[in-house]
Amino acid sequence: MSPAVECNGLWKAFHERNPIGIKDFFLGRKHVRKYDKYSRVWALQDVSFSVQQGEAFAVVGHNGSGKSTLLSLLLGSIEPDLGTIRLPRRIGSLLELGAGFHPDLTGRENAFLYGSILGMSLRETRERFDSIVEFSELGEAMEHPIRTYSAGMITRLGFSTIIHTPAEVLLIDEVLAVGDAKFKEKCFDRLVQFKEQGGALVIVSHELEQLPQICKSGMCLDQGKVAAIGSINDVLKHYRVLMGMDAELVL
Amino acid sequence: MANHRFRQLFELLYLLVLKDLKVRYKNSVLGYLWAIANPFAFAFVYWVAFKFIMRVQMENYSIFLISGLFPWLWLSNGITQATRSYQNNSSLIKRVNLNRAVLPLSNIIQEMAHFMFALPVIVIFLALNGGHAFYWSWLWQLPLMMMLQLAFIYPVALIFAVANVYVRDIEYLVGIGFSLLFFATPMVYPIEQVPEAFRGYFALNPLHALIASWRAIFLHGQIEPGLWGYFSLWIALLTVLGFFFYRRMSGRIGELL
Repeated sequence: MSPAVECNGLWKAFHERNPIGIKDFFLGRKHVRKYDKYSRVWALQDVSFSVQQGEAFAVVGHNGSGKSTLLSLLLGSIEPDLGTIRLPRRIGSLLELGAGFHPDLTGRENAFLYGSILGMSLRETRERFDSIVEFSELGEAMEHPIRTYSAGMITRLGFSTIIHTPAEVLLIDEVLAVGDAKFKEKCFDRLVQFKEQGGALVIVSHELEQLPQICKSGMCLDQGKVAAIGSINDVLKHYRVLMGMDAELVL
Repeated sequence: MANHRFRQLFELLYLLVLKDLKVRYKNSVLGYLWAIANPFAFAFVYWVAFKFIMRVQMENYSIFLISGLFPWLWLSNGITQATRSYQNNSSLIKRVNLNRAVLPLSNIIQEMAHFMFALPVIVIFLALNGGHAFYWSWLWQLPLMMMLQLAFIYPVALIFAVANVYVRDIEYLVGIGFSLLFFATPMVYPIEQVPEAFRGYFALNPLHALIASWRAIFLHGQIEPGLWGYFSLWIALLTVLGFFFYRRMSGRIGELL
């Protein structure tokens, strides 16, 4: 069986163009060295991994180690400089819940719009709408504009809509950390269920206790390079050492 | 499969346009009535300004003005909004994998809807000025001309929207460009008033072909084959240009936003 997600030798650099100020423009840039015009930062260097269907893959690392860049590459919102990515067509992303919501529209209107943005047809959304409402437990509030919602309610609507889109791969960035304890557990169970039904998950998280419950394997990124890859416990051990935490003590 | 994806894009477009319209009118007392009231008030202001204050001596000047004004508003408002569409939707572009070419298109179609709301206003002004207020040929001329204008605006808007991600100055230049073009295009004056020496250059402006075509339809229920042909040439040119520009430049939108 071919893997659901396969990345080979991904490289990605960000070119930051240093803006020319008006003063520099008129007075020349004698004090600026030539190569300062562009600065290049490697966000990812030679990253390879694969995720099988029905498997969850954890990505851990410091802030700025390239985790979010990796997710953006998988999502397709940015393109790699080098390397290949193989993915099924339907990818779900729990990167920023409610990115497409508009505060003046009701929960219902937002669910339909967001569903469409995520690639669902109107018919699909209509069929799943009751289930979306039920999962989010929003009930009557679905008819109110979401500017009246609390942050937790928006999260509920966002998660609930995304989890109902037919996706073969879900990309998850820290969203396990939001919502109240009960809803969090419900979301977690839902992700496990998604996995058991043959979906693949790529999870970025800092909640180290939770990760081994859902992921068998993972990798640790350090300054854009793969510092460790393999079984989740080895990766987490490596990560704790990197973070300066005493591995023996924590485990 | 391809059919399914096309349908899905169409629905997305529909929901995006619906969202813009809803958001625009939801919190006002008059609601959707504004969609008609606004163009009416707008036409009224221009009518008063040019007819009673500036006292332009041309015959049927007010309908001449108004028949060109609304297609122009669709064009300039649509392109101005679409130019900012990637900035306005940056969180969406970074966080969701969607067909980005749809976003500027939704702005343009939203403005097209407003143009359609303004059609009754044009008819009212035609009738008020004792002109011929309805032609049966409009039934095919209006939709066709709207499709032509849409096909003209979309590649331009797409190019500006992508370019504005690279160089933010574009949105300011577009604003200035349209106020310049408003007077450079025979809009508040007929092209016959342009000195003969320059008239040829003014006629090269594709926006003149557009506005003059609309006038011929609204005022006489006629199409001008020459203008349509010239305008279609521009559409073909811009479509090719827009396609290649978008394909070449749109890949980096995600990281530049």
